[in-house]
Amino acid sequence: MIENNFNRRDFLKVLGWGGAAVALSACGNTSVEDGTEFVTAHSTEGMPEYAIPGVYVHFNSTCAQCDSGCSIVGRVREGRVLKLEGNPESPINKGKICGLGQAGLQAHYNPDRITQPMLRKGDQGETITWEQALTLINEQLGGVKGNEVAFLTGGVSGHSGVLLKNYMDALGSANHYAYEAVTPSVVRAANKKSYGVEMPRLHIDKAQVVVSFGADFLGAWVSPVNFTQQYAKFRKGPNGSRGVLIQVESKMTLTGANADRWLCIRPGTEGVYALGLINALGAAGFKVPSAAAAIAKDYTAERVIQETGIPAEHTEKVVALLKERTPSLVLFGSAAEGYAHGSQNAAAITLLNHVLGNVGKTMAAPASVPFPQIAPKVGNRHALHALNDKIAQGNIKVLFTYGSNPVFTSHSSLNFKENLKKVPFKVVLSHYRDETAMEADLVLPLDSVMEDWGSSVPEYMADAAQINIQQALSEKLYPDTRGFGDVLLALLKQRRPTEYGQYEDFYGYLRNAMVQNKAALGGGTASDDMFWQKTVSHGIIKLPAKAASALKTPTATKLAFAAAAADEAYPLHLIPSTSAHMRDGRHANIPWLQESPDPITTVVWDSWVEIHPATAAKLGVVEGDVVEIASRSGAIKVMVYVFKGIHPDAVSVPMGYGHEAMGRYAKNTGQNVFKVLDSVFDKETGELALHETRVKVTKTGQKVKIVKDEGPYGGGQAGKRIALRKTTDKVNLSKEV
Amino acid sequence: MSIANLLQNWSRYRDTHPYGGAKPHMGYKWAMAIDMDICTGCNACTVACYAENNLAVVGKEKFLNGKSMHWLRIERYWHDSVEAGDPIELADGKEFKEGKQFHDQGAHFLPMMCQHCEAAPCETVCPVGATNHTQDGINSQIYNRCVGSRYCNANCPYKVRYFNWFNYQDPATENVWPEPLNQQLNPDVTVRSKGVMEKCTFCVQRLRAVMVDARTEERLVREGEVQTACQQACLAGAISFGNMLNPESRISKQWMQQEVNIALDAQPKNKHVGDAVDKRGYRILENLRPYPSVMYLEQVRESAV
Repeated sequence: MIENNFNRRDFLKVLGWGGAAVALSACGNTSVEDGTEFVTAHSTEGMPEYAIPGVYVHFNSTCAQCDSGCSIVGRVREGRVLKLEGNPESPINKGKICGLGQAGLQAHYNPDRITQPMLRKGDQGETITWEQALTLINEQLGGVKGNEVAFLTGGVSGHSGVLLKNYMDALGSANHYAYEAVTPSVVRAANKKSYGVEMPRLHIDKAQVVVSFGADFLGAWVSPVNFTQQYAKFRKGPNGSRGVLIQVESKMTLTGANADRWLCIRPGTEGVYALGLINALGAAGFKVPSAAAAIAKDYTAERVIQETGIPAEHTEKVVALLKERTPSLVLFGSAAEGYAHGSQNAAAITLLNHVLGNVGKTMAAPASVPFPQIAPKVGNRHALHALNDKIAQGNIKVLFTYGSNPVFTSHSSLNFKENLKKVPFKVVLSHYRDETAMEADLVLPLDSVMEDWGSSVPEYMADAAQINIQQALSEKLYPDTRGFGDVLLALLKQRRPTEYGQYEDFYGYLRNAMVQNKAALGGGTASDDMFWQKTVSHGIIKLPAKAASALKTPTATKLAFAAAAADEAYPLHLIPSTSAHMRDGRHANIPWLQESPDPITTVVWDSWVEIHPATAAKLGVVEGDVVEIASRSGAIKVMVYVFKGIHPDAVSVPMGYGHEAMGRYAKNTGQNVFKVLDSVFDKETGELALHETRVKVTKTGQKVKIVKDEGPYGGGQAGKRIALRKTTDKVNLSKEV
Repeated sequence: MSIANLLQNWSRYRDTHPYGGAKPHMGYKWAMAIDMDICTGCNACTVACYAENNLAVVGKEKFLNGKSMHWLRIERYWHDSVEAGDPIELADGKEFKEGKQFHDQGAHFLPMMCQHCEAAPCETVCPVGATNHTQDGINSQIYNRCVGSRYCNANCPYKVRYFNWFNYQDPATENVWPEPLNQQLNPDVTVRSKGVMEKCTFCVQRLRAVMVDARTEERLVREGEVQTACQQACLAGAISFGNMLNPESRISKQWMQQEVNIALDAQPKNKHVGDAVDKRGYRILENLRPYPSVMYLEQVRESAV
């Protein structure tokens, strides 16, 4: 089929395997029958024979509610998907699935999905056909230069990422921006610098002590389903040993609520505490490398107490524990990275990890997929700022947006919504009429994840490299929605008909791409049909393990932390918190998630501000008082939740609430905290420092009843023996079943 | 069951149910154990319960009025009491006293659902016998027999019974499942109508399906053959569920190892006050003698920090 090298290379690029050595040896092929007992392959034409009334069939696919890449099993009956479970074959989620993942069903059956392409006519939207929409796009692209076209997406990977890249190449545009509003960008950069990789593999289960600087790994950080399973093992070590979790942060996260000791730290001083621990370890006789010791030597016990506010008795116990029990693991998340000196904080914390000798023990080099075209392109906030600059200068004439809602999630000083008016033609590919879609000239309705085909590569892989397959679990609810891959393919056909004309749809393209490379994907000598059946029925391709390279050893550099200047006009730190269910607000229109109480405060259907009782007493506010949270950039009004899991110098409001559009469940539920964020950036990465906003809190006099689930005692047990607790010296875990 | 009958025969109704009594379980006694040391409070189980059991999302106003329908809820408790407090000095010189300054040993997450009591206080007060104990040890709720007296709700010490104040399935009035959300509803589970009580069933639809299969094959359900929806979702594996009468099941081994006897209202291991008991198993409000079928394992905190 392939005549010469040039053609072959071109062909591989079209299919997403280009640029790599597609010469992996075939690994052993297992019989397709392996999967049939539990999983039956979905075939597009074969659906009727599986639609036996009253009989369930199970199909494997991939969850797309967040970027963790958990494999799922859809329970399907009469052509409808009714329940999602985890796929036990995936090393990431091993048969489990979180609440957010389960709620993918309500994204599919959501009553507020858009069902037809809409074209703006003044203030009104007018329904048009896909043919008209695609023609219109082609016309609009006709008069502009390649670099005047931009494509804004969330994180992308897999074959839709390939098509997107090839489409941008076909247009001659280098303007693909991957934007995620809430993502551990500084963590990635600091990891890269310190360990040589952006996202090392974590072995929480092998650690005896975990010290986490605000990494909410049980809630919303990186790959929570995998980490929670590791955490369960960590708590149930061999012979009854039990891992100890120390959480250092200014606002209690779900992980903090599960810690053996929650240390409340003054906002922004995480790096100081990490160096203080190194210094204290050295003083306690722990062997600290001289370079690290030199950096940490100024961070004496007195200085650390003064700057961080953490009492000496706790620090001493933590140091003793770290010295005694190895290996440990030091993590850091949004609480440490969200400052102007976030990268410095991160460097101090990674240094602590090196000093403790954890690198290579509880932290290892990750696997990577040997096909760079399908590798994940992760998003960050910096991308949006770069795009915004171009838009503001009038350099973008056509803008496509997919998988992100920047009008909602951008901070107001960016002025993104206003700047968008400078783009003459804005195309939004979306499931909902969200805030960004409301600004669009053309809105294209997408298939739900349950209706669409795709492939993806997760950023964090728990074991060897893997490619996830997403298959349609349900028949399409609406005839006029299309998959993201199908839209890209249609757009590419306009540009490069000879290369892409042969593919009828994205399914055909994906199948062809997989089948053409079956030798490298472990397909062996199976027929094309057999290989594809096996791939789809398992929902996951595990690539042969490659010997992982070792992580880098540290280079200690001098660190400096800007001390937080007192700000009399805006005295309190604002901590925008990430809810595991709401994330950046993209799931706000899912009723299950709105009614699922926040684990810490138990609040439902609203946003709130957490205030420490001492601060609340000073401000003269009690629970249910509505207060105004004002920063230099904006103000919101939210109800007070008095809470002893936050630093008295800080207040915290969850992200993702306060939509002005999107749907009946999201609209006007809570307040949008993105609006009040100041433009302060991490000095090294240029990411928005989410925790740097200073606010003042004033009472409005208004009062509401707070809708929460915790009951009349506010979390007390009224003297009853309900939730009991033992300490490790009083319990014998070794014989437990 | 009339009130007169109830009063006359109180002890008879109380006595028949506890484990191994006059009406022994027929091959099965379903029971659960929840390890609160590894439960993280993530709510995966509760969303799974909504998906499996067609629970109504009632919305903000009804939630405020206590009409939420979450059969399985995560109760969150704090441990620090006022006595343990460190006073905080305020700017105006006054001291602020409210227990410890911080919740510095985290929260306590407790998944609470129907405890499927062997001597269920809800069963004896039902005027129409709509809630019953089945032979496999489940506290069942018969929706089409229920007349909505709500006595059971009043009598439940765990407050895990939920009443349908509205016709949630009627699109004309409540619209809880607007088109096409209703297409997700599980066809194996009734959508309850106005005026009936409902609660956790231990996913009885899943149990019945495997029990019928097992009976056809003339055997008992094997360990691991069935999972409740919450157990299947639980990321940490904190929930275990199974047949207590199967000595090989994890659940029976757990109860045995923790020295929690389902048929007792006070466990011998707890007899000597002050003695260190190094086992974590306990049942909530056991002293009220409902003989619950759910054992909880106490949360643990490191003594060295």
